[in-house]
Amino acid sequence: MSLSSKLKEAWIGLSAGTVTLPYPLAPHPPRPGFRGRPVFDAARCIGCGGCASNCPAREILIHDPCQELRVIRYLGRRCTSCGRCVEVCPEKAITMSESFELATDRLSDLEQRLTLFMGSCQRCGRCFAAPTPLDALKLTGYRVDDLEAGRWVCASRSAPPGEPAPDVEIEL
Amino acid sequence: MPSRILLSKLATRFGPAIERADLPDSDRLFVYVAPAALREVSSHLFGELNARYVITVGADDRPFSGKYLVAHDFALDREHVLGSVMALLPPDAPRVDTISDLVPGANWAEREMRDLVGIEPVGHRDPRRLVLPDGWPEGVHPLRKDFPYDKVPEGYDPGRRFAFQDPPAGCTVVPLGPFHPALDEPAHFRLFVEGERVRGCEYRGFMVHRGIEKLAESVLGYDDIPTLAERICGICGCVHSVAYAQAVESAACLEIPRRAEYIRTTLLELERLHSHLLWLGLACHLVGFDTLFMQSFRIREPVMWMAERITGNRKTYGLCLVGGVRWDITPEVRSELRQALATLEGEWRTLLSAVGGDRNLKARTRGVGVTSPALVRQMGLVGPVARAAGVDIDCRRDHPYAAYDRVEFDVVTAQEGDVWARLWVRLEEGLQSIRIIRQCLEKMEPGPLRLDLNDALPPGRIGVSSVEAPRGESHHFVVTGDENRPRRWRVRAPTYQNLQGIPAMIQDQRLADMPISLGSIDPCFSCTDRLETVDLSSGAVRTYGEAELRALARGGSREGGAGGREGSYER
Amino acid sequence: MSAELLSAALLVVLGALANVALVLLSAPFFQGVQRRLTARVQSRRGPPLLQPYFDLLKLLGKEDLESGEAPAVQRVAAYLALASILATACLVPLGFPAPLGSAGDVLLLLYLLLLSGVCTLLAGAAAGSTYSWVGVSREMMSMMVLEPILAVALCVGAVHARSFRLEAVLDGSPWLSGAPVSGGLMLVVMLLAFQAFAGRVPFDVAEAETEIMDGPLSEYSGQKLALFRLAQMVKLVVYAALFVGLFVPWGSGWPFPLGFLFFWAKAFALVVLVALVAATHARYRVDQAIRRYSVLLAFSLGAVVLAALGR
Repeated sequence: MSLSSKLKEAWIGLSAGTVTLPYPLAPHPPRPGFRGRPVFDAARCIGCGGCASNCPAREILIHDPCQELRVIRYLGRRCTSCGRCVEVCPEKAITMSESFELATDRLSDLEQRLTLFMGSCQRCGRCFAAPTPLDALKLTGYRVDDLEAGRWVCASRSAPPGEPAPDVEIEL
Repeated sequence: MPSRILLSKLATRFGPAIERADLPDSDRLFVYVAPAALREVSSHLFGELNARYVITVGADDRPFSGKYLVAHDFALDREHVLGSVMALLPPDAPRVDTISDLVPGANWAEREMRDLVGIEPVGHRDPRRLVLPDGWPEGVHPLRKDFPYDKVPEGYDPGRRFAFQDPPAGCTVVPLGPFHPALDEPAHFRLFVEGERVRGCEYRGFMVHRGIEKLAESVLGYDDIPTLAERICGICGCVHSVAYAQAVESAACLEIPRRAEYIRTTLLELERLHSHLLWLGLACHLVGFDTLFMQSFRIREPVMWMAERITGNRKTYGLCLVGGVRWDITPEVRSELRQALATLEGEWRTLLSAVGGDRNLKARTRGVGVTSPALVRQMGLVGPVARAAGVDIDCRRDHPYAAYDRVEFDVVTAQEGDVWARLWVRLEEGLQSIRIIRQCLEKMEPGPLRLDLNDALPPGRIGVSSVEAPRGESHHFVVTGDENRPRRWRVRAPTYQNLQGIPAMIQDQRLADMPISLGSIDPCFSCTDRLETVDLSSGAVRTYGEAELRALARGGSREGGAGGREGSYER
Repeated sequence: MSAELLSAALLVVLGALANVALVLLSAPFFQGVQRRLTARVQSRRGPPLLQPYFDLLKLLGKEDLESGEAPAVQRVAAYLALASILATACLVPLGFPAPLGSAGDVLLLLYLLLLSGVCTLLAGAAAGSTYSWVGVSREMMSMMVLEPILAVALCVGAVHARSFRLEAVLDGSPWLSGAPVSGGLMLVVMLLAFQAFAGRVPFDVAEAETEIMDGPLSEYSGQKLALFRLAQMVKLVVYAALFVGLFVPWGSGWPFPLGFLFFWAKAFALVVLVALVAATHARYRVDQAIRRYSVLLAFSLGAVVLAALGR
C-alpha cells in the first residue's frame, strides 16, 4: 500500500514538529508593517477631506455644522484597513496601527471622531472659499454625509438642504 | 500585427456588416457589427477561425449611445489576440440571436445577460433564470441604468419556485444542497442517478450574489474598485484587482512603470503558490486524508507571511491602483523572500516525491472526473483543468501582461485529464511560480511605483484583460466612464466556465467520486457567487419528492428547494 | 439459595461491574491518546489527553433534538449500542479472566458483536434522512464482508482449541497445537482488517465526514450522541482486547499486576497503530474498501481450512 510514500508523509509531519500557537491563550503580536486599524490625530488634521473621498468603504464621513467647525467621523465598521486614507493624508495625520483585536459589542467603540476648528481668513473672517476638496465631494454624482445617522447619501439621491435625506439601507 | 490581420480576415468575409473597428493595440480588437450579423460573425470566429470563447457581456449603454451593447469576448491564444465582437441593439425590446448552440460555453453568460440587463437571447435552448432569485419580478433588470443599486423592486413573489428539469428516464434525483452541513456557502446540485452512476446534473446557484458590478458602476471610483475587486474572492483576490486595473489601463492607454509590473507579477505568483497548496489541502480533506491537509497548510504558511511582509495583510493585499501598485519590495524584503522561497521549494519537492508514490491517494483520483480536449474546447474550460487534459493554454504566455513577457517559465500540461493529472499539474506549476518569482526579484528595475494621473480618464473606452488566476483565466471587461467610475465592469472568473463543464465531467461516474471531481476544478465559490457541494451518496438511492425532502430535513430548512429566496442584491 | 451460590453470584456481578467500569473509563483515554498522536503527525498540538471525557460530559448536558423519523427507535438504538458493547466487554478477558466467560461461548460473543453493528444500522434507519440511509447502506455492505472475517478468526481459534468455550478460545488458541501457519495467516489478516473493525480511515466509509456527514449518526445530538460515541470508543477497546486475547497471548498469563499491565500495554500499542494508520491514509471509496475486505475474507477462509488440516 505504497508504504514508503506513507512513511515519507508521516516523516514530513513529525519532522516539522508542532507549529500551532497557543494564541489566544498567549499573545501573538503581528509583525511590523501589518495593516491594522488606522489612528486619526486631530492635532495634525487640517480637515481637507482627502481621507473621506478616498475611503473605498465610505466609512469616513465629513460635515460642517457651522462655518468654523468641521466634524470628521471615522466609523470603523466596514473599514478594511486598506490604508488609502493614510496614503492620501497630506499632513500624515493618520497612521496605520497594528491593532486587530477589535471585537466589541458596541459599535461606538470603533469610532474616532474629530472636531476641528477651521481657521478663517484674517481679513474677511470667512473660511476659505470653494471649491475646497470637501466641496468637490458634493459635486454631482458624489455625496452628502449624514453624520447623525452615520451614513453617506449619494448626491444624486440626496435631499435639498433642509429636507431629510431619503432612507438608505446601509448594513451595519 | 495580429489584430490587424484578424480584422482584415473578418472584413474580407463580412464587409459591410462590420460597422466599426477599434484596434487600440496589436493584441486587442473590438469590432462593432450590425445586430443581425452578430451571430454569423461569431459563428465564423468561434468556428472556422477557432477562437476560444471567453464571455458574453450585456450592457445598458442608453444614457450614452441610446442603445444596448452586447459583446462576445473571444481569445485567439496562438495569435495572442484578445477582443470582442459587439453589436448595439435598439433600446426597446433588445434581442440578439443566441450563440449557445454553436458555443455551448455561452450558455450561462447569455442567461445572465437576460436576467440582469434584459437582452433576450433568441433561440437559447434553456432560457430559465440563472442569477436572479426566483421571486424577483419579471421585466425588472438590475443592471439597467435606470435601476438604483439599492432598490428593492415591487412585486417580489416569495411563493414562486424555480422550474427544475425532469430527470431522464430511469433516473432518480439526489439533491445536494442548497444547505448542507458540508457546504460553506449555498449551492444546489441536482444529480440524476441511475443505480450508482450519475447520469446528469442540474445546477442552481448565485445564492450569494453580491451586486459587485452594480456597486462599481454606481457608487465607487476607479481607485476604490480594486479594494472591492480583491474581495470578490478570498483566494484569488489579487488576480481580480490586477485584471481590473489592467483592463482600465488598457482602455485608457496607460503604461505603468516597469517596477510596478514586476511587483504585480511577484504577488500574482505568490498568490498562485498559496492557492495551489490550499487546494491540495482541501482535495486531501475531501478524500479523508487530513494529515496531508494539515501539512500542506503548514507548508503554505511562509507564503502568507511573505505576503503580509510585503503588503501588510495575508490575503487582501490592497496592491493595485489604476496606474501602478501601492507596495514596494525593499532590499530586506527581497532577501527574506529569497530565503522563504528556498525553504518552500525544499518542502514542495519533498511533498511532490511523497505524494507521487502514494497509491492510496491515486486510487481515489485516477480515472475520476475525466475531461477530454473536445469538452475543454466546447465548454471553454480554462486553467489546470484544461492543461491537465492536454490543452495547452495559459494567459501568461498567450496574452502576456505585467512582467510575464520578460520572465521564462514552462507551461505544465498532462494528458489523462483526470483528477490526478490536475493535482500533478498544480504541483508542478508551483515550482514554476517559484522560478518566476526568483527571476522577478533578479530583474526588478528601480523606479516609481505608480503613474501620476492628474487628468480624468477618457470615457467610453473599452478595455479587456485576461489574467491567469490559479484556477484559470480571469477576464475583466471595462467600459470607462465619467464621474471617475466605469460605465460597465464585467468580471468573468475561471470557475464560471469550469462549473459549466461539471455535468459532462461527472457523467457516468460513481456518486462517490462526485466531491473530488467537483473539488478538482478548484471551484472558487466567491468568484462565481456560488459554492461547491461536497456531498456523496452511493449505493442506496431513493426517490424523494421536493416536499418529502423538506419534511425530512430539520425544520424544513435543510433542503431549501429551489435557490435562494431572499436578498435582492444586484451586481 | 446457599451461601456459596450467593457469593459466587455476587462475585460475578462485581466482576461484570469491574469490567464495565474498566472499559468505560479507559476507552475515552485511549481516544484522547489517538487524537493527540494524530495531531502530532499533523504538526498540531492536539487536544488535552482528557478531552474525550470533556466531550462526553458536554454532550450529556446538551439539548437532545429529536429530529429523525422514529425517535423512539432512535432512543432504543442508542441505549442498545452501548449496552451490547458493554455486555461484550463482560465476556472478554481484560488482563484477568472474564466474569461472564462461562456464561456463553464464541457464538454468543459473535452475536453480541453483530448486535452492536446492527445498532448502527438501526440508528441510521430510524433517523431516516438521506445521509443516514447512505451511511446505513455502506455500513451494511461493510458488515456483510467484515463480520465473517471476525467469525472465521474465532473459528480458527476454536478449531485449534477444539472447543467453543470462551476461556479456551480467547487464550491464544490459534497458536495452540504447534500449528503456526494458520495462526500467523489469521494474525496478518486480522491486523490488516483491524482498521476496518475500528472504523477508522482508510476504512471509515460509513461515516465519511466530508462526504455524508457522519452517516447513520447524522441525526443524533446530546445524550444519544454521547451514548453512541462512548459505544464507539468502547468498541475499539473491546476489539483490541479480543485481538490481544486471540493472537498475542504471551505475557498475559503472568500473575497480577504484571500480566494485567502487559495485556493493556499490548492493547495500547494496537490502538496507537490504528491512530498512525488513520493519520497517514486517505479514505477508500466503498467499492474499493469492499474489494479489499473480500480479499482478506478469502485469505481467512484459507486459514481456517489450514487450521482444520492441523497446520
